[in-house]
Amino acid sequence: MAGWSEKILDIDLSKKTYKTYPLDMEMARLFIGGRGLGARLLWEMVGPEVDPLSPENVLIFTNGPLTGTGYQTSNRFSVSTKSPLTGTVLDANSGGFWGMQFKKAGYDVMIVRGKAERPVWIEIKNDEITFHDASELWGMRVFAVTQKLGQNNNKRNVLCIGPAGENLSRIASIMNDRERALARGGPGAVMGSKNLKAIVVEGKERPAINDPERFKFLLYETRKLLAASPLTSQALPEFGTVVLMNIMNNIGALATRNHQQTQFEGAEAISGEELTEKYLVKNASCWACPIGCTRISKTEKVEGEGPEFESTWAFGAQCGIDDLPAIIEANTLCNDLGLDTISAGSTIACAMELSEKGYMDSDLRFGRADQLAPTIEAMAYRKDVGADLADGSLRLATKYGHTELSMSAKGMEMPAYDPRGMQGQGLLYATSNRGGCHMRGNMVGPEVLGLPKMIDRFQVQGKSSFVILHQNVSAAIDSLVVCKFTNMGVSDEYFARVLSSVTGIQYDTGELTRVGERVWNLERMYNLREGFTRKDDTLPPRLLNDAPTDGPSKGWVVQLEPMLKEYYRGRGWDENGVPKPKKLADLGLAGL
Amino acid sequence: MIDQRIYEMFCEIGRDLYEGNMISSHGGNLSVRLGDRVVIKRRGAQLGRLKPHDLIETRLDKNDSGVALASTELLVHRTVYLNTPALAICHCHPRTAIAFSLSRDELVPIDNEASYLLKKVPVVTEEFASGTPQMAHKVAEALKNYKIIMLRGHGSFATGQTLDEAFHWSSTLEESCQIELAVKQINEPFIEYRKMSESYNKF
Repeated sequence: MAGWSEKILDIDLSKKTYKTYPLDMEMARLFIGGRGLGARLLWEMVGPEVDPLSPENVLIFTNGPLTGTGYQTSNRFSVSTKSPLTGTVLDANSGGFWGMQFKKAGYDVMIVRGKAERPVWIEIKNDEITFHDASELWGMRVFAVTQKLGQNNNKRNVLCIGPAGENLSRIASIMNDRERALARGGPGAVMGSKNLKAIVVEGKERPAINDPERFKFLLYETRKLLAASPLTSQALPEFGTVVLMNIMNNIGALATRNHQQTQFEGAEAISGEELTEKYLVKNASCWACPIGCTRISKTEKVEGEGPEFESTWAFGAQCGIDDLPAIIEANTLCNDLGLDTISAGSTIACAMELSEKGYMDSDLRFGRADQLAPTIEAMAYRKDVGADLADGSLRLATKYGHTELSMSAKGMEMPAYDPRGMQGQGLLYATSNRGGCHMRGNMVGPEVLGLPKMIDRFQVQGKSSFVILHQNVSAAIDSLVVCKFTNMGVSDEYFARVLSSVTGIQYDTGELTRVGERVWNLERMYNLREGFTRKDDTLPPRLLNDAPTDGPSKGWVVQLEPMLKEYYRGRGWDENGVPKPKKLADLGLAGL
Repeated sequence: MIDQRIYEMFCEIGRDLYEGNMISSHGGNLSVRLGDRVVIKRRGAQLGRLKPHDLIETRLDKNDSGVALASTELLVHRTVYLNTPALAICHCHPRTAIAFSLSRDELVPIDNEASYLLKKVPVVTEEFASGTPQMAHKVAEALKNYKIIMLRGHGSFATGQTLDEAFHWSSTLEESCQIELAVKQINEPFIEYRKMSESYNKF
């Protein structure tokens, strides 16, 4: 059927064997691909008894029906696993070129299970799967490995881990195409635990499209819409995602110094405008993307992709640092070592606060740009102070007796948006299935950017409806898989129509959103099976109790309780946050 | 107790609908979805002159006492919410669009704005067009695929994440129909300026 290759590649590293078998197409119809399909397979394969860093955990790489079709931003893919950072269900997705190549190799899904006796890397050329000895690659950094294995954007693409993954840092990322990241939740540590250094793909198959004429029309209309949106045609290409720095600071929702403040006096110095004016070499794009938000930045020491807004914030405002070159260098270093920049920066900020308050014996201090690079190095290699920081802020803060200073939800560090200035974002973080994350239905659209229309960011009543909808849509987009930035110019109805034109199965907007709801509920059930409860749907006490004393968010804390109650009801869950049997049955999830 | 922000939103959009000649004095209605509840205009209230007691909150999935006061078209709104991702509904009576709906099965805009935003608006027929289960079903089915639809001879139903958004689609449709009416009055040959416009009716 067009849209899917209808084939799963299943690799057992313990035996160095592989097999292929057909994808269950009913499962594909219900969960589409990417994150949805990954969650469905993970549910069956990895139960509560499995340690995330044991051979019994799996890595499930998935693409979606739109991946590789040439539809705008159809370059993305996912990895699903049990997170070693949070213990929750995890998916991380990434752009670049690797996902498109993986699709062309003729698979919808690649499952990697077991543990290799010695370091290996895998080469995939359609039906030809080869296990290579990776002894000489083990210990190498990401950029060097990517080059050595022959990265060639449109022909051969490399996905690998760096030293952080090898050393089982629970905030280690998997990197692809040199500087794109499956970043959050520690998938790099899972890959490291399997002694798997890299996966290289070369593909030859061209994805089929069921209704090429309709697809062509939608492609044309999408191009027009993206060109007409100031966000996708001007703001993102000109300033990258860092365009948000001044916007968030101006409304008093830029988390600063480990969320002690909501505005940063140095925001202008680390803004998108500053990055573009002084450090931007050129723009770059993922495959089939007309937006081109990627920055190629250069300082005296480094030249590379990024930094994104979240990375700039994590090493900038969150650490009280306004030295943009140091932030760019920290970002590049994380990419080379294979570390998640959000978690790395926020964990350093947590250590800075612990140290300033005398709870932790280190010289880390807010504002010390010179401490970024050495601390990141130490984290990746678990050396010195880095040994404490390598597993994220929650474990760090707990070790020093001050769990409340970890700015995380379910153990994952939250990104830049301080929810005291965005009530919906607070509910979003608290209920996100993979922990404190802005990519699970970002409320920046309606609460800040007016997408599709502006809503009052301090409104509490009714906010859960927006969060539920955006979470469901986000899960659907992650299952297609396309980039969420497309949704800034193109409404959800286009995705349903494009999916229909590619697969021949008629999805309307409601059905596509329902797929997202199905995925969300399945992920919720996964977490409940792992032992998570209502008490885990919460935020750090600082965000619930300590109101900013100045700025546009002065006097506000997150009104979580009333929003959470409304959220559970709106989702069809009971008062403990457990999906009711009727809801599961309605979604085709009966029996979970 | 309905949040003051939500009440103000109803007042603003309601007044705009009336002043924009999109409804008669007591016509049309608005609603928003709040989780498992719906806030909708009270039956018989004037959208252009809403008071706090004119907004009724009731359950989405079944009746409670609020149903005694709610708009006669509550069932349509509920059915739409249960079958689509909509969080807001704007129902109004745009006069030119109603006129065109009497002779067409779909409204395909020719002006740039509506071509860009709407592409195509289907026309649904239901004889007893006031809050019946049949009407609710037909409207909800059509709104699964389109953000705004016309009920023949009656008016439009538009969905969005906010009332603002649903109102946007409604006013865009009426403006588009007024433009087409003006084009017909001018009665000169139409010069096509849109690539692939032949595909709009397939949208």
